[in-house]
Order: sequence, then C-alpha cells, then structure tokens
Amino acid sequence: MSDDDKSDSKNGSKSDGRNDPGEARLRAELPEEVPAAASEAVDGRTADVAAGEVPGPSLTGRQRLVKGLWPPRVTRAQLIVALLLFGLGFGLAVQVASTSDSDGALRGARQEDLVRILDELDDRTQRLEDEKQGLEDQRTELENSSDQAEEARKQTVEKERQLGILAGTVAAQGPGITLTIEDTKGTVEADMLLDAIQELRAAGAEAIQVNGVRVVAGTYLADEDGGGVSVDGNKIDAPYRFKVIGKPQDLEPALNIPGGVVQTLEKEQATATVERADKIVVDALRAAKQPDYARSSSR
Amino acid sequence: MIAVLGLVVGVVAGLLVRPEVPAVVEPYLPIAVVAALDAVFGGLRAMLDGIFDDKVFVVSFLSNVVVAALIVFLGDKLGVGAQLSTGVVVVLGIRIFSNAAAIRRHVFRA
Repeated sequence: MSDDDKSDSKNGSKSDGRNDPGEARLRAELPEEVPAAASEAVDGRTADVAAGEVPGPSLTGRQRLVKGLWPPRVTRAQLIVALLLFGLGFGLAVQVASTSDSDGALRGARQEDLVRILDELDDRTQRLEDEKQGLEDQRTELENSSDQAEEARKQTVEKERQLGILAGTVAAQGPGITLTIEDTKGTVEADMLLDAIQELRAAGAEAIQVNGVRVVAGTYLADEDGGGVSVDGNKIDAPYRFKVIGKPQDLEPALNIPGGVVQTLEKEQATATVERADKIVVDALRAAKQPDYARSSSR
Repeated sequence: MIAVLGLVVGVVAGLLVRPEVPAVVEPYLPIAVVAALDAVFGGLRAMLDGIFDDKVFVVSFLSNVVVAALIVFLGDKLGVGAQLSTGVVVVLGIRIFSNAAAIRRHVFRA
C-alpha cells in the first residue's frame, strides 16, 4: 500500500516538479492516508492556477479525464493499460460467473471450509444412519412381537377348539361309531347307559352324544319315572342312539367284548347294534358355563 | 479511451467465454481481482491528479496482484488463509475508498 502511494508521490513530484515545485513539496509532506487534504490542496492549487490565468498544463481533474477519454489516442501507455484492464475485466467476469453458478457456495469455499463441511455431512450421515438402524431394530422387534402375538393367538384358538370339543361347546366330527340300543321291554336303565358311556370313554371316545344331548365330563344320568332316562336333566326315550367319535377299531371291540356292554344289554332283552362310520357328526352343544368360584390358577 | 475499451472487452469476453477456472488459481482469483481494482482506482486518481505514469501503473498493478496472491498462498500454507484474505480485502477496500474519495473530489468538486 505505502509502496504504491510512495511511487505515486515520487511520480507526482517528478512530473509536477517542472511546473510547481512548491506543490510537489507540499504533496510529498502530506500524510499519505489523507486524500481529502491532498485533494483540497490540489483544488487550492487549481484555483490559484485559474486565478493566475495559466492555461494548458495545469488542467483540472475533470478536464484531464475528458482529455484522456476523447479523442482516443493509440499510445504504448494506453495499450498496456488496456491490456491490464482487459485482464482485470476478464478475471472479474470469470469470478462473478463462477461465483454465481449453482454450486457457487462450494466452489468459492476454501479447503478447510470444505473439509469442515464434509465432516459435518459425515457426522450428519452417521447420526442419520444410527437413527435408521435404531428404527429398523424397532421395526423388527415389533414385527417379531406381532408375529409372536399372532402365533399365541392361533395356539389359543386351537386350544379353545380342542377344549371346546371336550367341554361340548363346539361341534365335532370325525370317524367313529354309532351305538343304537333298542329297548322294547323297558328294561334299560340309567346305569346300563352309564356303563356304555364309561366303556366308550375308556376305549378313547372323544365326543359323545346321546339322542341329541352332549355327554361331557359332568354329565349325569338318572332313571325317570315311567320309563326313559334323563341325561343332565333332559329326558330321552328309547331307542338310545349314541354317536361317538373315536377310533372305530378300538370302540367297537370295547363294546362287543364278552361280558361287555352289548352282552349285558342283550341279557336284558334289549338289542344293541354297533356300526362304524367314517364320518360321525356330534353337533349337540352345551352352553359354556362360567364357574362361579373356581379361577384359573395359572399365571 | 482505449483502456476503458479494454476493460469493457475483458468483461464481455469473460462473460461470453466462461472458462473453467483452474483449481490452482481458484483461491487467488478473487483477491487478485480486488488488488487489481485497487491499482486501477489508484491509477485513475493519479490521472486526475495529472501525475499518471504508465510504468508506475503497470508495476503497481502487477505487484498488487502478485502480492495479494502471495499473501493468500502464504495464509493457506500457514492455516490462516481465510483470515489473511479477509485482512487483505479490508486493506484494499480502505485504499479503494480513499482513492474513490479523491476521484470524487476531482470529478464532482465535492
């Protein structure tokens, strides 16, 4: 800075020295960073010159500017300055163009800024990756738990159906036998039917119904006055038709063994017929009863 | 007049050609442009003062550009490139303003 000004001042003292040595001395003595004082001095000088009626060499700045601009003179100085100004204008335009590009923010950034931006982006990426990982874990967990809940629900439904068959709350079908007891003489009593039911159960019967009444664990049989039997309080009359689901190969022999149910009934003048069937439908239902006092002790 | 034409032609050429700035020069170009602007204002003031000399102008122009670029280069090497280039821009800006003030006094007499 000071070098440039000094060279300007020296230059000024050289060029103005011929015309006005006092002015040159004044300019040289002036502080460099006070252009106002300098220009005031120049203005004062110009006024003096104008008052002194000296034309030509001591022009005002404005006149010098106009003279320099017009008429155009092709001199070595003008050409060199034009070349330099061309370079300046070129650089200016290029810089402005490159700064106003879409990626100008990054293009103009310095190396350390770019490194910092890159670091920040890396950090951000890392954070987002972590977050994504956490969310994915959460999702997997939720999916697993919902799978488990679904599985548990299926098992519960399955178990409910199995227990429902045992408890008589749902219909059941499958292979089995039908046992028909004809009682023309009225000699069949409740205990005989109970024996038949016990025998069937012992042989692995899974669902039993008698004349439209489901036989379950708590079923009781009683003789009715005037013939007939009541099953769980429902009076049924001969012929007694047992529909039994179980393995036919086990159930039939169990009834037919010597001294078994069939022989006992025949001894009492009743006829018992056993038929195997591939498909027995036990569709008599029993209302599910909520126990009043007993509660599940599991869990 | 030729000089003003040179400036105008340079701006137009820079806008039309739109060359890719080489990566080596890229950090120095803005500072160099500001330094050259400072030299140009200094030259304009000298011309209005009637003390313009083309040799001084050329030397100050080139040395301004080179020194500015050198300072930025040195700052980059020292790790204070951003601060140093800010300082250079501030100093050059002050000079440009003081030169502009002198020019203003010449042209508008105010």
